[in-house]
Amino acid sequence: MKNMKKRIAAIMTTACLAVTMLTGCGKGSSSDGKPASAGELNIFVWTEYVPDSVIKAFEDETGIKVNVSTYSSNEDMLAKVKSESAGAYDIVLPSDYMVEQMIGQDMLAELDFEKLPNFKNIGDSFKNPAYDPGNKYSVPYLGGACAIAVNKDKVDKEIKSYADLFDPSLEGKLVVLDDFRAVIGITNKACGYDLNETDKTKLDETGKKLMELKKNVVLYDSDSPKSALISGDCDAGMIWSAEIALAMEEVPSIEVVYPTEGALIFQDNWCVTKEAKNYDNAMAFIDFMMKPESMVMVLEEFPYMCANTEAVKMMGDAYSSNPAKNPPAEAVAGGTYVGNLDSDVLEIYSEMWTKLKE
Amino acid sequence: MTKEKSKHNFRSDVLPKLVTVGPVTVLLLCLVLIPLILVGVMSFCRTDEYYNVVYKFTFTNYAKLVSPDYLKIYMQSLVIALLTTVMCVLVGYPFAYIIARTRSRKKKLLYMLVIIPFWTNSLIRIYGWRTFLGNTGWFNKLIMAIGISKEPIEFLYKTGTTVFGMVYCLIPFMILPLYTAIEKLDDSLLEASSDLGAKPVKTFFEVIVPLTASGIFSGSIMVFIPCLGYFFVSNILGGGNTDMIGNLIERQFKSANNWPLGAALSIILIVVTLLLVKLYQKLGGDMDDLGV
Repeated sequence: MKNMKKRIAAIMTTACLAVTMLTGCGKGSSSDGKPASAGELNIFVWTEYVPDSVIKAFEDETGIKVNVSTYSSNEDMLAKVKSESAGAYDIVLPSDYMVEQMIGQDMLAELDFEKLPNFKNIGDSFKNPAYDPGNKYSVPYLGGACAIAVNKDKVDKEIKSYADLFDPSLEGKLVVLDDFRAVIGITNKACGYDLNETDKTKLDETGKKLMELKKNVVLYDSDSPKSALISGDCDAGMIWSAEIALAMEEVPSIEVVYPTEGALIFQDNWCVTKEAKNYDNAMAFIDFMMKPESMVMVLEEFPYMCANTEAVKMMGDAYSSNPAKNPPAEAVAGGTYVGNLDSDVLEIYSEMWTKLKE
Repeated sequence: MTKEKSKHNFRSDVLPKLVTVGPVTVLLLCLVLIPLILVGVMSFCRTDEYYNVVYKFTFTNYAKLVSPDYLKIYMQSLVIALLTTVMCVLVGYPFAYIIARTRSRKKKLLYMLVIIPFWTNSLIRIYGWRTFLGNTGWFNKLIMAIGISKEPIEFLYKTGTTVFGMVYCLIPFMILPLYTAIEKLDDSLLEASSDLGAKPVKTFFEVIVPLTASGIFSGSIMVFIPCLGYFFVSNILGGGNTDMIGNLIERQFKSANNWPLGAALSIILIVVTLLLVKLYQKLGGDMDDLGV
C-alpha cells in the first residue's frame, strides 16, 4: 500500500512537471521568430464572429500578440468594459446602437484614417451610418438580420412574418436570441408597432403578446442558437441570419425567411476604446480586417452580411446568391436597427423580459 | 497571551500575531469584507441614463424587489432548490452509506468516484448533458434502439431538467458531509439495536437517521444555498425559461446593466443564506460540519 502511494505520488509529480514543461514550450515557440517589440493587442469581440485563423494570420504578419476575449451581448460588453480597469481592451466590436451609446459616453477614441487605407474597400452604402456620422469612431465589419429559421420538414404552417412565430402550432418549438431588445423588438413588430416602440399603451399590448411567445419558446440562446436547430431540439426560431446559413448547410430542410414586417437588422463595427494602450496596433488590426483577403477568411467561417465590397466580389455567387449569407437588398432596406431608449422606457422593456423569463 | 511571555523569545506578541493571523485577516478584509460593503452601499444607489452607478441614496432598488414578478421568481427558485435538496438526500444518502460502511479497498475507489467529476469544469459537464439528452443525442438513440419509445423523448429545456442538472452538480456537497456523519456511527449501537430485536428498517429510521441528522442538515444547507445561485444550469439545461434568483442577479450585472438592483438582489440572497444558517444552528447543527 505504501509503495503504491509512493508510486502514485511519483506519477502525479511527473505529470505536473510535464504539464508545466509543455506550457513553457507553448510560450517559447509562440514568441520565437517574431519581433519582440511588436507588442500586444487586446480585443473584445462577439463569440463566433472573428475566426482564429484570421487572428493567427494577423499575428504572423505583424508579430503583434493578440489576446481575444468574447461576449454575447452588447450590454455585456458595455458592462465589462466599464468594470475592467481602464485600457483593458483596445478594440471592441459593438453593434449600431451601442456605438452611438458608447460615443455618447465618451468611451471611444477617434480613428486615424491615415492608418486605415483599406477603408476604400467598404461599400458606400455602409459608410456614414446614422449612429456614427462620418465614421469618426467606427468602421463596419459584419452585419445581418434577426431572420426567421424554419425546418420545413417539421413545421407545416407557412411562416412569413414575425407574427407567425406566435402561432399556437409552434408551441414548445422555438429558439430565440437571449436578447431582450431583439425579442421584445420583434414582438412590437408583430403587433404592428415600431421595433423601438416607446408609447406606453402600445407597449402594454406588446407585453400581452409576449405571453403568447412565451409558450412557443423553449430555448433562449445567443451563443450558438444554430445548435438547437441542427440537433432537432427546436424546429424554428428567430436568430442571426448567418447562424441560419450555417444550420442550412447541416440540415437542408432549414430555410431562411425575412419577415414581411421588415426585419431587425444590425451592423457590427470595429471601434477603439478611449483608454486603449495599443492604439497603433489597433489601427493595424482594423486595417488588416478590412483587407478583402482577411474578410474572405472570415466569411468562409461566419457568413454574415459583409460591408467589404471587394471581399464580396471575391466570394463569388455561392455567397452572394445565398439569402441567409447575403441578405437581399430589399430586406436590408426595409429593416430597422435597434435604437437607444430612455431609461424609463428601457425599464418597461426590462420588466417585460422578467415576465417572459419567470 | 501576554502572561505566557516567558514561553517564547519575543518581547512583545505583536510580531507573532501579525505574522500568523495577519495574512488571513488582510485576505479576508480585501476579498470578503470590502466587496461586501461595496455591494451593500451599491444596493442603495441609483443609475444615470447611461447605466452608470450614481452614489445617491435611494430605497427604490429594495422597493422593486417586492414586485409580484420577482416574488414569483423567488418562489420558483426556492421550489427548485428544495426539490434539488430532497433529490440529493434521496440519492446521496444510500451512496454515502455504502461508501462509509464499506470496509474493503473499494472504499477509496467509491470515494474517488465522488471527487473525480470535480476535476472537470461543471459548465463543460452541463453542456455535455445538453448534447447527451438532446433529441438526437445518445440517450435518445439508446431509448429508441431498445424500443422504449419510437419518437425521441424531449428531455431538454424543462424545469425537471434544471433540477436534474442541479442535483448532478451539487450531489458531492451532499455526499461528503453525509459520509463524515455515517463514518462516525458507532457499530455497537447498531448491534445493540438488532440485539434488542429491531428490524433493519426500524434500526435505520430510529437509530441511524437520528444519529446522522447533522450530516443531512449540513449537506442540505450546502446544496440548497448554491442551488439558488447556479444560474448557468437553468440557462443551459432549462433553456432560460425558468429564472432563478441567480439569473436575476446575473442579468442585472450584465445585460440589464443595473448594478444597484443586482446588488440589492445579492443582499437578499445573502440574508436568505444567513437565515438558513441561523436556522441550522438553532436546530443544533454543528458549524464545523459546514466547513465555515
